[in-house]
Order: sequence, then C-alpha cells, then structure tokens
Amino acid sequence: MFASILVGTWAAASSLANSPLLPGPIAVGRTIAAALRDGTLPRALGTSLLRLLVGYAVSLGCGVLLGVSLARSPKTKSAIGPLILGLSSVPSICWLPLAILWFGLSEWAIQTVIVLGALLPIAVATEGAVRHVPPQLIRAARTMGARGPRLLFGVMIPAAFPGILSGAKLGWTFALRSLMAGELLFVSGGLGQLLETGRDIGDTALVLAIIVTIVALGRASEWLLFGRLDREVGRRWGTEAA
Amino acid sequence: MTAAAIGLPADAVARPSPRATRPGASTSLERVSFSFQTEKGARLAIESANLHIEAGELVCLVGPSGSGKSTILNLIAGLLAPTEGRVLENGAPIDGPGPARAMVFQDAALFPWLTLRDNVEYPLQLAGTPKGERRARSEELLRMVHLWRFAQSFPHELSGGMRQRGAIARALATDPAVLLMDEPFAALDAQTREILQGEVERIFLETRKTVVFVTHNVREAVRLADRIVLMGTRPGRILRDVIIDLPRPRAANDERVAWFAADVAGEIRSEVEKIAREEADDAWVAPGGRVRVDPRRNMGGGI
Ligand SMILES: Nc1ncnc2c1ncn2[C@@H]1O[C@H](COP(=O)(O)OP(=O)(O)OP(=O)(O)O)[C@@H](O)[C@H]1O
Ligand SMILES: [Mg+2]
Repeated sequence: MFASILVGTWAAASSLANSPLLPGPIAVGRTIAAALRDGTLPRALGTSLLRLLVGYAVSLGCGVLLGVSLARSPKTKSAIGPLILGLSSVPSICWLPLAILWFGLSEWAIQTVIVLGALLPIAVATEGAVRHVPPQLIRAARTMGARGPRLLFGVMIPAAFPGILSGAKLGWTFALRSLMAGELLFVSGGLGQLLETGRDIGDTALVLAIIVTIVALGRASEWLLFGRLDREVGRRWGTEAA
Repeated sequence: MTAAAIGLPADAVARPSPRATRPGASTSLERVSFSFQTEKGARLAIESANLHIEAGELVCLVGPSGSGKSTILNLIAGLLAPTEGRVLENGAPIDGPGPARAMVFQDAALFPWLTLRDNVEYPLQLAGTPKGERRARSEELLRMVHLWRFAQSFPHELSGGMRQRGAIARALATDPAVLLMDEPFAALDAQTREILQGEVERIFLETRKTVVFVTHNVREAVRLADRIVLMGTRPGRILRDVIIDLPRPRAANDERVAWFAADVAGEIRSEVEKIAREEADDAWVAPGGRVRVDPRRNMGGGI
C-alpha cells in the first residue's frame, strides 16, 4: 500500500522532471531486466551475497559468544566492555583503510569491515539479553542439574533468544551497509561496484536499479528469515510479533 | 476426572511396571549461618540455624519478609553453600544442586520457549532418560496435575494456577527425594490457592516425599504442615516449631485449621510489627536513598 504510493509519487516526479537524472520506475525496471539478462546483476548480487553471508555468519557466531561472555564474566566485562562501547561508535567503514593496509585489496579486507560492522551490535544486544534472563529460570535449571555448556546452550541462550534476534537483525543491516560502503570504495565486484560504475558512466537508472535491488534484498531477508523467527518468538513467548 | 486421577487411572494398568518412587530424604541444617557478599560487605541472612526435617515430613517455613526463608531453601537445594555449619541430606553433606532436590518457585519459572510437556521433560533430558520413558513419564505427571490436555501449550497460554501445577509436575519429573516450594501459590487467587493446597497434600500423601514449603500465609501453613517452623528476622533465624497434629487430608475450611492459624498468626505478629517499624525508620533515615526494586516487575523492560 505504502509502497505503491511511493512508486506512484516517484513516477509522477520523474515525468514532471522529465530529465535523465530522474528516470521513472519503468525505465529502472527495464534496466533491472536488462542487467538480469546480461548477467551483470546476478553476478554482482551473487558476489555481494556470498560476502555478506560469510561475514554475517562470522559476526553472528563471534558476536553471540562475545555478548554471552560479557554478560556472564565480570572480568571480560571490565576488560573489554568499555572498549566495545567505544568501538561501536566508529562507523565500520572507517576501518577499511587499515584493513587494506593489513590485508591488501583482498576479501579479507572487506570481511574485516563487515565483521567489525555487524559483530558489535550483535554482541551488545546479546549481552543485554543474557543479562536480563530472569534469574529464576537459571536457578530452576540449576536445581535440575544443568551446568556449564548445557546451562548456556540449553537455557541461557534460548531464554535470551528474543533479544539476540533483535541484535541479529540489527547486525544484518549493519553488515549490509558495511558491505555496500566497502564495495563502493574498494572496487572488486559486487553490487557496490556496480553502483560505482553507474555513477562513472552517468547511468542514473542503473544506480537506482541497484538501490532497488538492495531494498529487495533487505525485504527478502525479512520475509525469508527474520519475519518467521519473529513470529515464532511471538507464538512461544506470547508477545506480539512486530 | 479428579477421582480417576487420584486412584489408579486405567492407562496406568497397561504400563509394564508401576514406578518405584524414591522415598523422601531427611534434611538437616547444623548451626548454619549464611552471609551474602554485597558491595557494602557481608550481609548476614541466616544466623546459626538448626533444623532437622524427617524423611517424608511436610514442613512449612513461616516468617516475615527477610527472615531468610528463601535462603534456607536455596541452601537445601544446594544453590548456596553455607558460610558456616553444614547442610545434610540423609546425613551426608549436600554438594551443589541436583535432581534429588527439586524446587518450585513463586512465578513457576517454566521455560517460555518450551511447551508444557517439553518443560516437564527437560529435567529428564538432562538426566539422560531415554525418549520413550520421558514421554511416558511426562504424560503420567501431566495427567496427575490435570494438565494433560494442555501438554502442547506454551506457558504463556496457561493461567497462573495451571503454570504452577506445571511447575510441580516438572519438579516431580526426576522423582526427587525432597521437594522445595518457595511461596508457590502467593500470586494466585484464594480459590485456586485452596485447590492447589489440596493437590500438594494429595501428592504428598501419595508420594511421601519430604516437602519444605515456604509461605507467608499462616492458614496455608497450618493446612499443609506436619510442623511449622517460625522464623524471625534481623538477622534471619529460626524461632521455634509448632507441631500441627491434625488428621489428613485436611479441608480448607476446617475449623481446627482456622483455630491453629489464629494462634500461630499471633506468634509472628510481633515479629512482623518489628520489621514494619524498622522499615519505616529506614525509609525516613535515607530520603532519596536507593529504593529496592523488584526485578520481576520490570522483566524485559531493559530490552
Ligand atoms: N542476592 C542477595 N544479595 C544480598 N542480600 C540478599 C540477597 N538475597 C537475599 N538477601 C538478604 O538476605 C536476607 C534474607 O532474604 P530471603 O530472601 O531469604 O528472605 P525471605 O524470608 O525469603 O523473604 P521474603 O518473604 O520476602 O521472600 C534479607 O535480609 C535479604 O535482604
Ligand atoms: Mg523469599
């Protein structure tokens, strides 16, 4: 509904402007179709998605573990807690120059940027979620004999799941943003590079086509994964799914 | 339905062998003191408590807020270790929590991400019970607390009283020798509370577990207990025992229960008044001081 108003406004604006700087939805749709056919878009999308998935998986695993250890170990908390909060105010793309110096123009450099972008919000959300697990649940599990890893994976992480999920969603958008920023600056395949190409050759329709693709990617992840998980949390915990 | 569940239900006959239940264990505290370590130093919660609970006895701990009732349950559960003295089960020191001692909490503490049945099976899974046996046991327990129809429900779909019955079923899953209950019915309405008191007494009579039941409600204590242990505060300590020598099962509206209750209530009134006075003083002495917030009230508020 809202989307159709948006597209309608866009179409109206572009026909009013009647300029190559603001192509309408139809022109952009044609560009997308063409880019799909000649394989540039699928290739770029594939490259970006692969990077995103790898970086995100690493961020998710490390972020959850880091968050749990921040929540459960006062030593870890006092040692690196302030550092984490400080670092999370640095936009992850600022690390790109350093990453390039370290790793050269390689996948490692771009992965560094993705992980630095996504890991921190996941860790911070996980820490909060684990900290807010009702102590009664942990005590109950302990009276039943749960300890160590079984307490962690069987009770603490499931109990913190709704909070971890919101961190994971945040982490996903951060990963996507970091990736795009990285690809824009660091030319080597992917949607970001295609965006940069669009600018170079003055092809506004291509630039908009990529933006539409990124929006679609965000929606698809919501629809395929996060939306479902949200509904499952709602069903179990009895909270309203957003 | 109730009658069928109390007697041997038809489906129990079909099962290969009736379970041998673990008998209750005796529990004792010997000159137990316990201090919490806080930022402001050690805080004495229990001072030199002696308590012996017989195997198969139902003891109620009654006393004002802060008298250390929950602390004693946590000590028996093995969740806390005494600062001084010894906590024994059948004469042997208790070393950490374990499935032989189960706890039921005021807010049920069922796991929200598991169905009722999976909640009941969770301790069995921890104990490594094979799946088939787990299924049979959870069914048996849920039938016993009349919740079989809700086996697939999540805790949030149940009423407070149903959740509490679920928590009792979960606590009984590993067939513990001692059942610890910390104000399990405090948050329930009067009718539900009376029904559940009846259930606890029935389960107690059927299984002969040792039960330690904490309550603020003197009438509840008199209805359930073989013996009431009165506790005092500042610091928390055991004041004295009251034997409740009434026949079982006891009716909620039994006159003798009411009579005993009035008597016991008189005993603890002076303690409660002492607390009320001191707390009023505290509030006056420390204006703008830190207010103790019940963490249960803002559950999830920080997310
Ligand atoms: N985690 C804790 N840290 C510090 N002090 C505590 C802690 N838990 C309890 N205490 C203190 O120990 C004393 C006994 O507490 P406990 O919870 O055992 O009392 P209780 O009799 O169960 O009270 P209530 O009836 O309110 O549940 C109280 O003075 C309390 O302030
Ligand atoms: Mg208490």
